[in-house]
Amino acid sequence: MSSKALSRFHQPISVPGRRLLHHVNPGFVRKKVSGGGQRSVNQEIPLIPFIDFLLCIVLFLLASFSASGELPIDKNIKLTNAENVMDMVEAPMVAITGTQILVDGTPAGNTRAIIDGNRLTRVDELFNILKNKRELWKQINPGKPFPGVVVLQVDRKVQALVVKSVFQTAAYAGFPNVSFMVGRMGGGEGGGGEH
Amino acid sequence: MAGIDVGGHGGKRATNHEIPLIPFIDFLLGLVAFLLVTAVWSQRARINADARVPGPPKETPPDEIKKEKQLHVEMKGERKFQLVWKEGTTVVNTIDVPRKQVNVGDSGDFKYPDLAAKIEAEWKANGSHRAATDKKFDQAVLHTDNSTPFQDVIAVIDAIYTPQRDFSFGGGTEKVPAFNVTFAVN
Repeated sequence: MSSKALSRFHQPISVPGRRLLHHVNPGFVRKKVSGGGQRSVNQEIPLIPFIDFLLCIVLFLLASFSASGELPIDKNIKLTNAENVMDMVEAPMVAITGTQILVDGTPAGNTRAIIDGNRLTRVDELFNILKNKRELWKQINPGKPFPGVVVLQVDRKVQALVVKSVFQTAAYAGFPNVSFMVGRMGGGEGGGGEH
Repeated sequence: MAGIDVGGHGGKRATNHEIPLIPFIDFLLGLVAFLLVTAVWSQRARINADARVPGPPKETPPDEIKKEKQLHVEMKGERKFQLVWKEGTTVVNTIDVPRKQVNVGDSGDFKYPDLAAKIEAEWKANGSHRAATDKKFDQAVLHTDNSTPFQDVIAVIDAIYTPQRDFSFGGGTEKVPAFNVTFAVN
């Protein structure tokens, strides 16, 4: 009988010795990888709490997401700020710059005529545009009460006469609930462009 | 990686499954980045005013309208405001308030705290609509010069809106300005 030991697949009893990680070299790496009596260098990152955290952020951002984006402000308007304010509403936007009146970005009159007249003046162009908007809303929403809300974006230096004229024109066009867009006091610069 | 271990194999197809978390985390991070980039942190707000225009004519004559006290705020003088309580055309009371402007921040904003305090005190003394269930509001009428800058007008409207009252709406109660503001036409 040969004295040579049989291979592990041919002998019924294996030769004693290291089985796990015996192929890892050199020695100090093997020692590290297998623990070596010290703290393991392999770390599990706790992914589940991380995913929970990400999901919370996603849900919060989705809840505060606005598809309509930031309210457009004419670059020539510097808004004033106020303390006792309400949240914005979705409504036609009338902008009054130093010289122009715009409805949702479309020119709807000039302030020069009002200032020259030095009295309350109905702005016909503005009146017609707002009246058309009102008619359109009624056609789209038959049977519903018309809210009659319009938001005025007014530059802080515009004269009260112009504001009152636009205010009255809007009211006669069927928009008696007039709101002035303002910034929240303490919430930073009023917005819009500089003069 | 997250796995689901349901026990031994039993010679059949493996029932342990690894959920691929890394692509899922990548997707969530992408979503967070998109939402953060498109987020709108708006500082815009509005201040309300009411144009009291007549409604369409009715067939039946309206009931006699009870004349209520209205607060007229005159901001025509340079040194003082005038608060005038009127019942119809009858002047009930007149109060002068010094026009002390207090600047807020360095962006050119200002307010009139003395006027706000006086209006609040006046509403507490003379306001007609205080109950939360009352759907009507006390009326304030603002008189301005034609040349008054809009910023000044807003500062005064802001002062008029200082007194707040409870208002029942949709099963809840919330704080709303006690006055409704409109402009005088003359």
